[in-house]
Amino acid sequence: MDNALYVGLSRQMTLRRELDIVANNIANADTTGFKVESLMVETEPMAPAQTAGAPRPVKFVIDRSVGRDFGQGTLRQTGAPFDLGLDGNGFFKVRTPDGEQFTRDGRFRLDDAGRITTQEGMPILDEGGGEIVIEPKDGPVTIAPDGTVSQGRNLLGKIGVARFDTLSILEKVGDNRYRNTSNQQPVAASGVTMHQGMLEGSNVKPITEITRMIEVTRAYESMAKMMDANAELSRRSIERMGKLN
Amino acid sequence: MQALRTAATGMAAQQLNVEVISNNIANMNTVGFKKQRAEFQDLLYQTIERAGAQSSDQGTVVPTGVQVGGGVKTGSVYRITQQGALTSTGNKLDVAISGRGYFQVLMPGGETAYTRAGNFSPNDQGQLVTEDGYLVQPAITIPQDATDISISKSGQVQAVRTGQTTPEVIGNLELATFVNEAGLDAIGDNLLLESAASGAPTVGTPGTEGIGGLNQGYTEASNVDAVTEITALIVAQRAYEMNSKVITSADEMLRTTSNLRS
Repeated sequence: MDNALYVGLSRQMTLRRELDIVANNIANADTTGFKVESLMVETEPMAPAQTAGAPRPVKFVIDRSVGRDFGQGTLRQTGAPFDLGLDGNGFFKVRTPDGEQFTRDGRFRLDDAGRITTQEGMPILDEGGGEIVIEPKDGPVTIAPDGTVSQGRNLLGKIGVARFDTLSILEKVGDNRYRNTSNQQPVAASGVTMHQGMLEGSNVKPITEITRMIEVTRAYESMAKMMDANAELSRRSIERMGKLN
Repeated sequence: MQALRTAATGMAAQQLNVEVISNNIANMNTVGFKKQRAEFQDLLYQTIERAGAQSSDQGTVVPTGVQVGGGVKTGSVYRITQQGALTSTGNKLDVAISGRGYFQVLMPGGETAYTRAGNFSPNDQGQLVTEDGYLVQPAITIPQDATDISISKSGQVQAVRTGQTTPEVIGNLELATFVNEAGLDAIGDNLLLESAASGAPTVGTPGTEGIGGLNQGYTEASNVDAVTEITALIVAQRAYEMNSKVITSADEMLRTTSNLRS
């Protein structure tokens, strides 16, 4: 009898989490290089909600994973010389205190030593894993679509772009960076172009997110109604069966 | 409910965004002003189910795991040091920099500030000062009887005195450059201060070693582009609105729960 309540509850729990994820997508709708996420739910494979022998197995729902849409965000013009928009499948490599991490956020700058760094001052790595240092005296910096950094005729290096065959091994760590959770080594990406003075916006589609939010709210409501009706049913049956005459 | 807090971070971020945009628009006609941009990053993620965890005794693993983000935060407010357009003013003491570099200004406290605003004037002693009366470094004194002043591309200031035909050199303007210009601290009044992020200034002659040249009779307009700012404002307002909708949704779900009887 209580199965319906518990199944309803398991659905409500996933819906709450789904709203958390939608909220995060919307909060980051304006975050450079952000990739939209969605919750993947499935029927709980382990414990059935109803014991064997029942006509149809009743199962709980569980949130098993978060799907990340790595689709291209739109590139917009900013004009800042160290803004780089990535077009294609790949990531910039960042040296962090926790090892090499990856990002699609191309809002770079120079630190006081002239290195190209992220907003937090972590150096961006070239193809071989080295830092790229600019000499401000040598004039404006040009970054070619293939990542070659040059000042006038001086070649300073080539910004590395890493590509993963399986994108699902990446885990978000915040600050627009991803961490590699497996032993799989990234390979040098090909066919990815960099656009100087442009940034890749987030690929959050506001309409989709708002629609999803409405869906979540309504599904939550209908689950509540179902549970309510179920409770009502048991209340009534107790009442009736309890009558003596 | 996490969604409530997440949406709140989104609203706070967009509010800051609007503040930065409004400052840009307010300074659209400020000489030498450089537009700023609020930069956002996603907050820490709460890992509920780790990717790579075993999902059954058959050795299957969770491919992506469940990670729920905590919203958005402001990473920095970045100054875009793009060249502004040069506007002709006809004033002999207006100097615009085309290229990299900052004028040095001696503050009343003795420290040096840096500015791109080259709308100078002489003070009562003939010294070249900024709009606020702070001395421009290196100090240049314009003779009382000067009839004409010329400032060359490389910063040489020459004056023609009454009764003379040949100009006389009265000083040289120098410019300071920084490795990381965006790291300078803005203190208002178009002035910037050196910081740990900017690196130490390198002072040099305008027009040499990658330093910009000077243009007499011009001021550098702000690099704020009205269209870009207004579009950014629209985006920020809509984003704010959407975040508030999330709060409404989360609230509605909580209400549904509290309305459950029995």
